[in-house]
Amino acid sequence: MKNILASVIGVMFFVIAACPCNADPSNDALSSSQPPTTFKLVLSAKENPEKTTNPLDEDYHEDENLDEYANNEIKEERVDIADPLESVNRVTHQFNDKLYFWAVKPVAQGYKEVVPESARISVKNFFSNLGFPARFLSCLLQADLSGAATEARRFTINTVWGIGGLLDPSSGKELNLQEQNTDLGQTLGVWGIGQGFYIVWPVFGPSTPRDTVSIAGNYFLDPVAYLNPWSARMGVNVLDKVNAASLRIGDYEALKDAAVDPYVAFRDAYVQYRYKRVKARQAKWSSSPGPAETSVPANPESSKRGQ
Amino acid sequence: MKKHFIRLFAIFVILIFSVPVYAGAPLDSVKKCVNEVIGIVGNPKLKGEAAKEIKKEKLRVLYKEMFDEIEFSKRTLARNWNKFTPDQRKEFVNLFEQVLEKAYGDKVLSYTNEKVEFYKESKLSEDQFEVQSKIITSSKEVPVFYRVINSNGKWKVYDVVVENVSLVQNYRTQFNDILAKDNPAKLLEILRKKVSTH
Repeated sequence: MKNILASVIGVMFFVIAACPCNADPSNDALSSSQPPTTFKLVLSAKENPEKTTNPLDEDYHEDENLDEYANNEIKEERVDIADPLESVNRVTHQFNDKLYFWAVKPVAQGYKEVVPESARISVKNFFSNLGFPARFLSCLLQADLSGAATEARRFTINTVWGIGGLLDPSSGKELNLQEQNTDLGQTLGVWGIGQGFYIVWPVFGPSTPRDTVSIAGNYFLDPVAYLNPWSARMGVNVLDKVNAASLRIGDYEALKDAAVDPYVAFRDAYVQYRYKRVKARQAKWSSSPGPAETSVPANPESSKRGQ
Repeated sequence: MKKHFIRLFAIFVILIFSVPVYAGAPLDSVKKCVNEVIGIVGNPKLKGEAAKEIKKEKLRVLYKEMFDEIEFSKRTLARNWNKFTPDQRKEFVNLFEQVLEKAYGDKVLSYTNEKVEFYKESKLSEDQFEVQSKIITSSKEVPVFYRVINSNGKWKVYDVVVENVSLVQNYRTQFNDILAKDNPAKLLEILRKKVSTH
């Protein structure tokens, strides 16, 4: 008797644990996901009575139903950018491509052979720790006080306990202080300044007038820029770039090989990436001062938390 | 009698809890496919160059299972899709698949100790979801989002968003750029050339 009871409880536990009845509201949607499909089919059949079931014969339709979720930030976005300098940019793009394949990649590969991965990650951590001033300032300028506090704590902890930034104890599970992925270009974006047009800088790569501010700002905010003999500064910068490249060998090649027109592919990837970053920072911004504020106030100071 | 009752009760409980197992939530369905990919790639029995083709063949089958290829192609062409004749569409779907295989096949096969974590699904519309995952390597975390659509009761991927960059949109921009100047036949020619080189 006891045995049977135990096995019933066991079976129940197993069944409950394995059942996909999580509290996720999407499950409700799942059960209701059938009717709209049929509805759509009926609709399209009306438009086109002699329609076959072959999806190849169906026309492309925009996702009208996505508009209902216009407030949903992950809705499919269509971002584009003006490219008045395309002919010049294509030349610079070629130059950067050659720079990568002829100089950066061979050096990074040699470096990768000699330096073990753990050491390269430490070097990456070190340089990323030095990027603290730009990230901290950007958080402040975006009125993201919690982000700024996170950055300040990260910098202190990683510098002191992370042996000058070589280790990154703050992003571990216990402290969970993640690096704030932001910069001055994003700050301008959060303030409502548009991206402008596409520029490819030699060495620095894809950019826009707005994001060029980051390149310029980093020149003043990066401690490395204050190293005295210029040769030391150059050396450290090259180490930073080569080290970073050694951890990413293959990424550039993969994106390039996948592209039909690499220039356009990189332009689009850059624009999409920056757009989503600014969007994410804006969401953080507008979620802090009050409910449902989607437009960006002209004065960033007015939206400070706690006002 | 009591024993009998308990047995009946157990059967009843099992029946009740097995009802909500429909097509499977979007997250589970993508997760299942990705785990199968990892299983194929990491299969210790399939090692070396010779096994590469076998793996690729298995991945091809899985690709068809996981992706809605026509939806995928259609979205990369967007409005331009309507300019293609049915034959051209068929060829495009085929060529686009080969472009993807060429670009990402070896990349997928080279994955070894990366960990994949699925953590969220969000609703885009009644029959579209975004399943969020991340690939964790020793030096970085790469967010990978799969957009899935309900295609005849099955959740099929129609877009992959890697590090905030949507694959569909990336190709759409490129194809749009070409189709703004040239006709569909020219685009197909470019793709044919791309697939045959290397």
